Formats: sequence, structure tokens, C-alpha cells
Amino acid sequence: MASLRFSVIDYYILTKHRIINWLNIVKMVLRHGPYDIIRELRRYPWILEFLKVNHLMTRLTRGRSGPYRKAVAAVITDVTRGVIELLEGIFHHSDMLVIHEDMVPPEILRAMGLYPWMPELLGILLPMLEPGAMEQYIDCAENEGVPPDICSLPKATMGLSLMDVIPRGLAIVTSNLPCDGGMSSYILMEQRMGLPTFRLDVPFHFKEDRAADYFARELRSMIEWLEARTPGTMDWQKLREICDERNRMVEREQELWEMIRIRPAPMAAEAVYMSHLWSFNVFPGTASGTRLFERISELAMENLEKGAQVVPDEKYRALLWNPPTLHTIDLFNWAEKEYGVSCIMDSMSFNRLPVIDTSTEESMLKGLARTIMEGPMARHTRGPAENYFDDMYYISKTFNIDMIWVAGHVGCKNTQALSGMLREKCREWGMPLLIIDYDLSDPRIEPREGIFSQVAHFMENIMKAEKLT
Amino acid sequence: MAKRYYAGCDIGSTTGKVVVMDDEGIVASTIIPREVDPEETARKALYDVMASIDGISDLKDFVYLIGTGYGRAEIPFAHENISEISCHAMGAFYCNSAVKTIVDIGGQDIKGIAVDDDGSVLEFAMNDKCAAGTGRFYEAMSRIFNTDLESFSDLSLQAKKMVPVTAQCSVFAETEVISLLARKTSPSDVAAGIQNAVGKRCFTLLKRVGVRDKVTVTGGCAKNRGLIKELNRILKTEIISLSEDPQLMGALGAAIFARRKGSV
Repeated sequence: MASLRFSVIDYYILTKHRIINWLNIVKMVLRHGPYDIIRELRRYPWILEFLKVNHLMTRLTRGRSGPYRKAVAAVITDVTRGVIELLEGIFHHSDMLVIHEDMVPPEILRAMGLYPWMPELLGILLPMLEPGAMEQYIDCAENEGVPPDICSLPKATMGLSLMDVIPRGLAIVTSNLPCDGGMSSYILMEQRMGLPTFRLDVPFHFKEDRAADYFARELRSMIEWLEARTPGTMDWQKLREICDERNRMVEREQELWEMIRIRPAPMAAEAVYMSHLWSFNVFPGTASGTRLFERISELAMENLEKGAQVVPDEKYRALLWNPPTLHTIDLFNWAEKEYGVSCIMDSMSFNRLPVIDTSTEESMLKGLARTIMEGPMARHTRGPAENYFDDMYYISKTFNIDMIWVAGHVGCKNTQALSGMLREKCREWGMPLLIIDYDLSDPRIEPREGIFSQVAHFMENIMKAEKLT
Repeated sequence: MAKRYYAGCDIGSTTGKVVVMDDEGIVASTIIPREVDPEETARKALYDVMASIDGISDLKDFVYLIGTGYGRAEIPFAHENISEISCHAMGAFYCNSAVKTIVDIGGQDIKGIAVDDDGSVLEFAMNDKCAAGTGRFYEAMSRIFNTDLESFSDLSLQAKKMVPVTAQCSVFAETEVISLLARKTSPSDVAAGIQNAVGKRCFTLLKRVGVRDKVTVTGGCAKNRGLIKELNRILKTEIISLSEDPQLMGALGAAIFARRKGSV
């Protein structure tokens, strides 16, 4: 009887979120008008992939029950709502649209009344919805002469630009991070679109105070540059509100982190890492982001109070290193059922210095500078190697981790170069290590079956795990 | 009291292997060429080995049967299946408990395995994406030399010097070797170059798991004496030989696991 009740509730959760997603999509179509929507679809054909969002939600919620299912569904619904907000920025506010790289803080753009658009977002979101979605863009870039061995994420972004399906903005703001491939993609976009481009110089010795001062000056230069070239003007009070809201998001997230330290975990996987990936990179400092973390924390607390665990038979706690396996985004849903693996924390979510001092203009800029400089893609990929290993060790101890899974994206030279040292470190720590060979955006390099097979070999031979199914 | 038999059945890409044990030790073993259907290979190998054991005539007579190898999931009459990585480690450990590192060179992949003090797997690395250095690669090379694998191995041991074969891919290596032979390069020197190329490939794979003494080679290619000599040289350590046929290590490991499970 209890299982029937849970089945009905689970069905209701999924149906409710499916309807919310469809309603949000329909509202966007009605607001924009069918004729204009068709025009936009012809201009940006990738929008159609977002119609598969409910399919993604079904994949990620499958077999997950109660508060866990609610949390995962809430994340997907929040992402859908956010994508619609970004699309409406493209449709209705192209005169205020600024293209920005993922290492440029969107908080500043929003405080200036501008609409940010991060082109890499497509290479991250689309493979989750349709595993092969980026193949045509990757092929296009390679056919135009982009070296095949660079990271498939900037390569796909270059393909999108070469096929003229990236929204045009007023200006581009980018940086010298996170890798050569990423920087090259902005050179190409700059040339293709003929847009004025500002490049932030993120300093190398980021732990030093003078680096924070230097980068804060860089951010101020970016603001002045944008004010001269776009209708945006800096509203410092608005930036304070955004940073305050961001701090509230951080607090809520840290509450969640405290709870997931407990074994067995009351929340895991996409509810933890996808919420961060989305809210802190695309919508930092927004009330919707804070609400999402509040909701996930409430659901985790509900599980804790009931003594419930998200993975019914949690046997192993994993730390995911590097961005998640985008085209096999349901990896942990599979691993939970197959071997009782909970994904507790990931390198992209964990940040050592997440809070911003909002007392002065300078302190806000320094705080934003530090979040970028100390962010995982900056801190982990440029060296020294200690940054990478120290965080890994700290997270493993703090979150009671049993094994580290590195999503070993073949296109990431910076992290691939660390693999040998990482193996030695893990031997030293006695920490089982799995390096999954795959490509971030291109499933042809290693399809999902290959990823599952690598995990199965590791779980059965190293962890001595028995299959639960 | 009737004897209790435990079997390990290793269905590889080129052969099927079975080892049968009783409570004292190994009773019988067999190696047969594979059939198209892995289940058929397993059935044939098991009946082949059963013919040499008195008092056992049916698959149900095995107290416990474990499948391993790439076809392990396709053996419906096995009680369970275990990854060949764990089985090779256990098999080699059973033959020599000093073994700490294994190079398993099978028909379609190469594995480097670090073995713990109890015969379990500490770490492993696999090359299952390309055929270079595998049994299939050696078959292709032997065809170019118009000989069998054993003669190819002997040929490489007669080399006066080693002519490097630089191609990493089996297909390109084949082209390179044909070109070298067409230029009248000594076949034995080229054969030594091939052994060197495979040895280096094993070396890079083993570096990922760490090379610790004692090192051994399992799988069909362990019978390639030319390769073993080259591995000795490249790894700068002695490759120890095992008390049982190295090609049987997967099946032996599976049989040991079967005995553990079956005697509980």
C-alpha cells in the first residue's frame, strides 16, 4: 500500500513538473507570437532541442522517489525557466545583449541593465537533452580547419558561430581563461561577428592580494568599456543587491552541503551539482536561484528528519571531478541503481571563497574577482598542481568520500596532464580512482555504453561491488 | 563422498578456456577455438573438459560455475560471472603469490593489472580501443611473414639488430612492415622491431598502474617468447613465468572464485 502511495506521488511530481515546463514554453510562444517564433527557430534551430526537456526530466527522475525526485525535477524546471528567460533576452532585448565567456561574472552585466548570453551554454545544455546535438557543430568547426584535438566545448561553440546560429550581441566580453581552445573560440567569434571585444586578464598568482586588486581594476575597466559601447550603465546599488542575493544563495547551498556530509546522504547527484552549475554560472544573485537552493535544502532536511536516504541502498560515496559527463548525464542515476553509488560532491560546485563583501564598490569587485580567480576552472586547470590535489583531498575528507571519479575529458589538455600525478596521489591517499575516458560534448568518442562499461569494470574489480539489479 | 567440482569458463575473443578444480586443486583444463556464439563456445569447452573427468557428465554436476571474459554475460548455465580483470589477477596470484603486476595480452585488448597481497585488483588500465599489440595484431603480422605465431616469435629471437616499427595503429604498422620487407630489410630484424613496439605499448599501459616486482604476462601472447624477452628489457625487470599455462589464468581465477563460492 505504501509503495502504491509513493508511486502515485512520484507520478504526480513528474506530471506536475512536466506541465509547468510545457506551460512555460507555451507562455513564451504566446508572448512572442507564432510568426516570430518560427522566424527565431529558423535563425536558431537549436531551440527545438529544448522541447526535449521533459524527456531529460524523465531520464533523471527515473527510479528516484519522494523528496529526491522533487529536487531533481525542481532543478530541471528551474533550468527550463531560466533558458526561457535567456531566450526572451535574445528575442526582445537584442539591443542590450552582451556575449560573455563563462569566466566573466554575469552579475556585473545584469547590474548594468544588460542581458548576458554565454555561448558555451549551448555546448553544455544541448548534449544533456540530445547526446549527439553538438556533432554537426563540431564537424563544421573541424571542416573549417579548427584542430580536432582541442576541447569539443569551444570547438562546438566555434561551429555554432561558423554556422551563424549564435545570437548577435552588442559586444563580447571574454578572458584569458580557461584554456587555449576557449580563447581561440572568442577570436573566431570576434572576427565572424565583427563585434568590439574586451578581454579580461585574469592574473596567475591569484592567492595574492595584489592579484585581487589587479583583477578588480580589470573588472572596473570592463565596466567602463561596456558603458562606452553599450546603453548599459553601472548601477552599484543593483550590483549590491545581486551580490547580497548571491551570498544568500551561498548560505543556502552551504546548508545543503552540511546535510550531505551525513552518511547516507539525504540528497545527491544532479540535485547538488546541476543546481550549482546552473544557478552560480548562469543566474548568480537572483531570487530564483536562492529559492531553488532553499527548496533543495528543505527536501534534504525532509529526508534527514524521516531518516530517509536518496539512494535506497547507498554503499559508495563518489566525488565527481571535472564537469559532468554531459551526453551521459544520467550516469549517476544508473550507478545509484546498479551499484548503490551516491554522487555527493563535484569539483565544479565546490568553491573555497564563495562570499562577497558588499560594503563598498571596491569590495564587491574584489569579491567577484576572487570568485572568478578561485573558481574551479581557473584554480584547477592552470596550476600549480597542489590547487587541484589539495581541493580533492579536502573534499574527500570533508564529505566522507569513498572514491573519486574523474570525468577524463580527452580534449582537456590541462587536466589530462595531471592524470599521472593524480594516480600517484590517490595511491598515496589509498583512495580508489576511476578516470573515465570520454569526450565532454561528442558521444562518438566514447558512447554511453562505453562509459557504463568503464564504470562497471572499476566497480567490480576495484570496489569489489556486486550489482544490485 | 562424491567429489565436488568447480569450474571457471573464460570466453575470450579468439578462444574458450575452461579450468576445473576440486577441493585439492586443478583437475583438468582445455583451450578451444571460439565459435560464433559465446554460449556455444562455453558449452563445447565445458563438455570437452568434462570428457576427461570421471564422474561428471552434465553441466549441473558442477557445484559452482563462473563465467568470465568478454562473452561472460552470454553463459546462461553459469551461476554468475566475474570480470576477467579480477580473474586474471586471482589466477596469476594462485600460481605465484609474489606476482604484483600483470600484463594481460588477449586476443582483442591489453590490460595492465596491479595485484594486491591477497590476489585482488588494486588498479587496472585497459587498451580496448585499438588492436595494436593484441593477439589480433600478432595474427596480422604473422600473415605478412607468411608464418604462424610461434615461428614469428622464433624469428624475432634470431634478429641481429632491431628495426623500429614506428606506427601506433595496427593497420599502419602492417603497411610499414610490408614496406620494410619490400626494401629487403631482414625479416628477423623487422620481427624484433614489432616485438619492441608491442613491448613499449605494454610499458606505457603498465606505467598507469605502476610497475612493481614481480611482473608476469598472462593471456595467449604470454607464449610469445620474443615479446617476453623484449618486455624483460623494456621493463628492466624479470618477467616471471607461471606454474600453469598463462592463457588459462582467466579461467583459473574464475574456478578459484567458483570454489570459494561453492564451498561456503
